[in-house]
Amino acid sequence: MSAPAAASMPLDDAVPAPGALLSVRDLRTVFPTRRGIVQAVDGVDLDVMPGEALGVVGESGSGKSVTFLSVLGLIRPPGTVTAETLRFEGFDLMRLSATERRRLRGRAMALTMQDALSALNPAFTVGTQIMEGLLTHGIVANARAAREEAVALMGRVGIPSAAARVDEYPHQFSGGMRQRIMIAIALAARPRLLIADEPTTALDVTIRAQVLDLIDDLRQSEGMALVLITHDLGVVAERTERLAVMYAGQIVETGPTAAVLAAPRHPYTRGLLASLPRLDAPDSPIQAIPGQVPDLTRLPPGCRFRERCPLAVAACAEPVLLAPVGPDRAARCIRTEALAS
Amino acid sequence: MSYSRIAERFLQLVPVLFGVSVIVFLMITLTPGDPVEIMLADQRATEEQIAALRRDMGLDKPLAERFFHFLVNAVQGDFGLSFFHRRPVIDVIAERLPATIELTLASMLVAIMVAIPLGVMAAVRRDTWLDRACTVGGLFGVSMPGFWFGILLILLFAVELRLLPVGGRLGYDYEVARITGMVLIDSLLAGRLDSFRNALAHIALPALTLGLPSAALLMRVTRASMVEVLAADYITFAEAKGLSRLRVLARHALKNALIPTVTVAAIETGALLGGNMIVETVFGWPGLGRLVVESIFARNYPLVQAAVLLYALTYVLLNFVADILYTTLNPRVRL
Ligand SMILES: Nc1ncnc2c1ncn2[C@@H]1O[C@H](COP(=O)(O)OP(=O)(O)OP(=O)(O)O)[C@@H](O)[C@H]1O
Ligand code: SF4
Ligand SMILES: [Mg+2]
Repeated sequence: MSAPAAASMPLDDAVPAPGALLSVRDLRTVFPTRRGIVQAVDGVDLDVMPGEALGVVGESGSGKSVTFLSVLGLIRPPGTVTAETLRFEGFDLMRLSATERRRLRGRAMALTMQDALSALNPAFTVGTQIMEGLLTHGIVANARAAREEAVALMGRVGIPSAAARVDEYPHQFSGGMRQRIMIAIALAARPRLLIADEPTTALDVTIRAQVLDLIDDLRQSEGMALVLITHDLGVVAERTERLAVMYAGQIVETGPTAAVLAAPRHPYTRGLLASLPRLDAPDSPIQAIPGQVPDLTRLPPGCRFRERCPLAVAACAEPVLLAPVGPDRAARCIRTEALAS
Repeated sequence: MSYSRIAERFLQLVPVLFGVSVIVFLMITLTPGDPVEIMLADQRATEEQIAALRRDMGLDKPLAERFFHFLVNAVQGDFGLSFFHRRPVIDVIAERLPATIELTLASMLVAIMVAIPLGVMAAVRRDTWLDRACTVGGLFGVSMPGFWFGILLILLFAVELRLLPVGGRLGYDYEVARITGMVLIDSLLAGRLDSFRNALAHIALPALTLGLPSAALLMRVTRASMVEVLAADYITFAEAKGLSRLRVLARHALKNALIPTVTVAAIETGALLGGNMIVETVFGWPGLGRLVVESIFARNYPLVQAAVLLYALTYVLLNFVADILYTTLNPRVRL
């Protein structure tokens, strides 16, 4: 883990980490709904250094996707995004015009979405969908060059006989191949940051490894930074250097992946680890965290994990901040020492 | 869709048309009273004349034989004579049909030009005043009786403002050589801009009357499918690529959102063709609809039979076209 300490300590200081590719401070995203205001992201701080791989984990609905859709500027009204700092490569994203932000999207920061089948437009061939980004960003001069580049990209992400399949529609590909096409689209402009939202959830185990290897290869060759959003702690352990654990719209623990997984300092992280099937003792019962994620329209003022936390005490009903808990590490819990022992 | 699938779907039309033929054929048989006497009621016919007509219509033969003859003749386009006009029914219909087709196409054009932009804007600006105005207008449009709306338009544009003529297809001062039978097209073919303008003024009110309720329907379809499409992941993903908002809307969203619109428009065209009797009557439009109304009053059964069969045929064919359009536009179901 080579990132400087400041980069990994997204505490209450609003100063972006020096040299960070992406700096986020106090990001908040809300959606007004019939049921009330959904606080989907509530004060997220994080940094991504150039070339680094950050894992983001958390239960369904914890705000992982919304956090990074907010970073990309893809939250639609009536949803609103505010942030104290939202910097990318020295650009203050909150101050850019819609057009300037659009120019960064797809070109410098790219996204692959959770479900490739629904992310690809059923009405256009995959070739058209790959070419579009290339042409929009002026990466190639004309449609012919774009087509050649599209075929080359498909080959690069491991699609056999790409030249023959470039004119096929998304539904004509298998799930793994669609995932690769989506990655090809995301990588078309050689972005500095790839946000991969659950790139492997829909895939079976062998394809899963292939897709992750592919992303790793591209990271190595292009020096691209990666945000890997996933439910899979095994994938995070293997593929990322740093980890952010989200719960109910907040980061509850962050630090070097290996250190966090070896000795979690937040009861939620520990619960996630305990709910993994264990390789060393496959027959031991899986302990899912009991209880449910709190209603994002009626969040309690104190620790949001309180209802489900085995260590909860009366003081947990007071607001809890993300605080340093060791080298490069922070946790949002007042009883971290109880976990350290 | 493969050719064999198209052929298969086409063959499925045969039983439908057969069923309609039976009903149309029975129209005369099931009419209470002696159809021939009813048909000739106003004409003070002699016994011999009645007997002659009964023979002409084959009413003295057994039912099955008559149906067989009816079918054989119908397939050849022979529906007998129109008493009123003393000419073959099919000729009379052929003469009136272009006016109806012209009005139908003009109405559909009005409907599409109103419905698609409004439907798209209502979806994009969802829950704004524009969206609500479209919803209210659309509800008004689909629930309003066509003739009533037509009369309102006449009162406003023809009587009050004196902007547009009412009645007929073309002013008396104009004459255009009949090529397609559609005055607008014939004017253009003849290079006559003056008569084109005049014909346009004549068709404006009936086309609005007929087209706006369809526009309301198509707008609702477009809005609903556009709202659904705009929430799709592929729209977010298209934006994540850095495409402009316009490109995302005009290409990624519209191509998917218009699939139901186009399909419904094809079906609606069939409904317009068969549903314009009142509007044609209100506007004195010399088309098939008005001819059918006149024929019903005149008990001109052969003509009504032929017209009903024609309506059924076009309706069924346009549904078939809608099916093909739907599959062609939608790569996922393309076989
Ligand atoms: N457009 C929206 N309107 C209202 N609520 C929304 C909207 N988008 C997301 N949310 C809510 O925000 C919360 C966070 O959603 P998000 O998609 O970020 O979760 P996630 O961590 O990515 O979950 P998953 O692992 O299932 O993908 C959820 O409760 C979700 O219901
Ligand atoms: S702050 Fe309290 S309730 Fe929250 S995780 Fe820590 S111990 Fe549990
Ligand atoms: Mg998600």
